[in-house]
This record gives sequence, C-alpha cells and structure tokens, in this order.
Amino acid sequence: MPKTRVLVQILALALVFFAGYAALFIAPDERTMHEIQRIFYFHLGCWTAMFAALTLAFAANIGWLLQRKPHWDWLGVSSIEVGVVCCTAGLLTGILWGKPAWGIWWTWDARLTTCFVLWLLYVSYLILRGLIEEPGRRATLSAVFGIFAFLDAPLVYASNRLWRTQHPAPVLFGGPNSGLDPIMVRVLMISMLAMVIVMGMMLIERYRLERLRSELDELRVAYQTRSVRESSARSPAPRS
Amino acid sequence: MRNFHFLFAAWMAVWAVFFLYQLSVAGRISRLREEVERLKQQMGEG
Amino acid sequence: MTTARAAALVLAKELRLEFRTRELLNATIVFALVVVVLFSFSFDPTSAESRRLGPGLLWIAFLFSGSLMLHPSFGREQVNQTLDALRMAPISSFAVLLGKMLANFLFLSAAELVLVPVFAVLYNVSLEAVVGRLALVIALGTVGLSVTGTVFSAIAAHARMRELLLPLLLLPILTPLLIAAVEATASLLALPPTLDRAWLAFLLGFDIVFLTASWLLSDFLLEE
Repeated sequence: MPKTRVLVQILALALVFFAGYAALFIAPDERTMHEIQRIFYFHLGCWTAMFAALTLAFAANIGWLLQRKPHWDWLGVSSIEVGVVCCTAGLLTGILWGKPAWGIWWTWDARLTTCFVLWLLYVSYLILRGLIEEPGRRATLSAVFGIFAFLDAPLVYASNRLWRTQHPAPVLFGGPNSGLDPIMVRVLMISMLAMVIVMGMMLIERYRLERLRSELDELRVAYQTRSVRESSARSPAPRS
Repeated sequence: MRNFHFLFAAWMAVWAVFFLYQLSVAGRISRLREEVERLKQQMGEG
Repeated sequence: MTTARAAALVLAKELRLEFRTRELLNATIVFALVVVVLFSFSFDPTSAESRRLGPGLLWIAFLFSGSLMLHPSFGREQVNQTLDALRMAPISSFAVLLGKMLANFLFLSAAELVLVPVFAVLYNVSLEAVVGRLALVIALGTVGLSVTGTVFSAIAAHARMRELLLPLLLLPILTPLLIAAVEATASLLALPPTLDRAWLAFLLGFDIVFLTASWLLSDFLLEE
C-alpha cells in the first residue's frame, strides 16, 4: 500500500532528523572532547545497525538451508550488503573521531580491529556470490560461508580483546560508556533506533532489487526455452 | 565549536555513504525494470 | 559403513594420490621457505628480534602456503568430476570432508616438520626446551587451518577465480587462530618459556567450533 509506505518513510525521516538534532544540540557537552564527541552517537548507531543486519543475515542463511525458499536468499544477501554499508560508515566515523580526539587516524584496539575484520569477511561473502553463477548453488554455498563468518565474529572479538589486554593500546571507546549522563543515554538510544530504521529502509530496497533480479532470471529462462522450442519447430530434424 | 569540521565531516560521511548506496540500489532497480519490460515485450511479440 | 571407516578410506585415497607425484607437498614447502626468506629482508634477524617477530612470521608463512595448498583438496575433484562419484558413494558427506581434512592435516604437518627446524636455524632460535609444547600448539593451529581450509576449498571449488578466492575467504576467518597461535608460540619462545594456557584453550575452542559447524553443514557443502 503506497500510502502507508509513504507515511512510514516520512515518520522514519522525521525520527532521523530528530535524532540528528538531538545529537547535535540536545545532548550535553562532553567534558574532555566537547563537540567532536557527538560523533559517538552516529558511530554507535552504525555499529548497532550493522549488528542488527548481520544477525538478520545469519537467520536468513539458516532459513535458506532449512527451507530453500528464495526469499531467505534474497534477505541474506540484502542484509549482508546493507550491513557492509553500515560497517563502512562506522569505520569512517571511527577514523573521523579518532584523529581530532586522540591524534591518531587508526589504532588496532579490539573493537576497531574486529569491525575491520568483519568488513573483510562480509565483503568476501559478496565477492563469493559474484563468482558463482548457478543460483541454487550460489545461495547454498554463500549461506554456509555466511554462517561460518557469523560464528567467527565473536571469536575475532575475543581474541583481539585477549591480545589487547596483553599488549595494551590506547583505549579508544571505553571512556564515553563509563558513567554516561542520562540525557546522553537517551540521545544514544534514539540515534541507534534511527540508524536501525535507516538500515531497515535500505534493506527493503535492496530486497526488492534481489526479487526483481530473480524475476528477470526466470523471464530469461522462459524466453530462451521458448526460442529454442520455436527454432526446432521451424527447422525439423534432417532425414537420413 | 572546536573541531567542528571533523564533526561535520563525520555527519556528511555517514549520510554520503548511505545516500550513495541508496542511489546505486535505485539505479540497479530501474535498469533491471527496463530489462524486464524489454523481455516481456519481446515475449509478447514472439 | 561407519563414518570413521569411510573417512579412513577417503584419507587413504588422498594420500595415495599425493604420494604418486608429491608435487603439492614439494611446492608447499618451497613456497613457505620463500616466505621465510623474504621476511628476513624486512628485519634484522638477530636473536632478540627473532624471538619477537619470529612467531608471527612463522604462522603467516604457514597460513599463506597452507591456503594455497588447500585449494586442490576439492579443486582436483572438479577436473574429471570425481566429486559426483564421491557424492554417490554410500558414505556420509561428513566422512568425505573428514577424510580430506585429515589428509590436509597430514600434508600441512609434513610441511611444518620441515619448516620449523629451518626457521630455528635461519633465525637462531633454540627450540630444544619446548619441542613437545610447540608441537602441541602447532598441531592445534594446523587442525583449525585444515578444518576451515577444507570447507572453504569445497565452497571455492564451485566458483570462478578459485585460486584467489580461497585465501580471500580463508584468511579473514582465521584471524583469531592466527592471534592465538602466534601468542602461544611467542610465549614458548620467550625466556623463560611458558605455555600460555588461555591461548591454548582458545585454539582448542576454535577447532571445536569449526569442526562442529563443518559436521552440521557437511551435506550442504557436497550437494549437487
């Protein structure tokens, strides 16, 4: 129903604007970093959206393997692609926060490193999909890979965490979470919600793209079988 | 407002990434729709 | 036929196939040596530096040469479509996978058996005190490498550009293994040598998680 869809989109946009306004103007100023700390609201929002997308992808991968219904495959690739986009935004905001706040563009602390590895993992998923032609096999094999990737994620985080406690690096994001002002917490919640909704909207569009692609493939097959049938009807097999 | 340009850059970066992605998806959708229409027409004629 | 027996048969086939030519084993060992030598040009291999950087270098050499060596595991089956024969045999898909994992484990271990002494010699690191514990750490790391590598070889075998795809898929997944193995090895090469229990447990955990996942998903890996 287009009217409800437009209404939902307008509401979502309103929430996003409000979240941005809140992050920039309502949230109180942070003691040491002042304005630049406000990136934190967008930054954590990106991670939350990415986490939601990748968890959805995990469920979709399992769904495909168990039920073989195409919508699982469409959901899987869409949520992973959208998740990678959110991850990219998260990494960018992290870099743009790190430089003014701590003077360094990048540090190999547990959280940042994990996100970078996850980015690589899920980009590999997308590359894998591009390299397998047959749709059924592509769905199955990428679902298996997606499951392995999701299982690996906590291991990546744990190993980096353990490693970092042995080789301490600048603790980047421990600061803001300890003893957050209640207004900050509320602004943070709104920002995370807004980002997840934006992710959801991108996901829906991407899903439609995948469904359309599937429809096109089916049409192509139908067209080809029809033209083969027609050409063999026109020129009958030669007699010996 | 200290470091305002970084804050602004971060804000722009996030929305640029999302916006460019949406644009790419929308572009792919319209191209595919054209393809579907074209095929449907060809099948209608044949 | 039990899974164990079927896996043993697949293992025997893989071993027989490899030992006919031994080309894979030779190439893997030489490639790993090349990596080791190349690394020597990027830092001054005094004893102290070697203790610090050596473990990382050793494991990176394993991972790179390993991920190249793992490709033919399923890549070979594509040539004459022998995978269909394996599929039709009355054995579970996990048996096929397990047999190949064991074969890959043995090949990788053979390469490591050559590499570790060479590394010790080239970088002036003495290993006598820690041989047993080092063997344990390397074995656990190699299990993780063979399990994930075999699974991804099965995945990549159906894709284009599979020689490049396998390392691309494998190496990010293996980062926890790399960290754990390097740290465990480093603690063994430190003076005095200690075996870091936490990292050892982590390696074991990694192996168990991915072996279980492979077992649960084996049917999907080998299907039509």
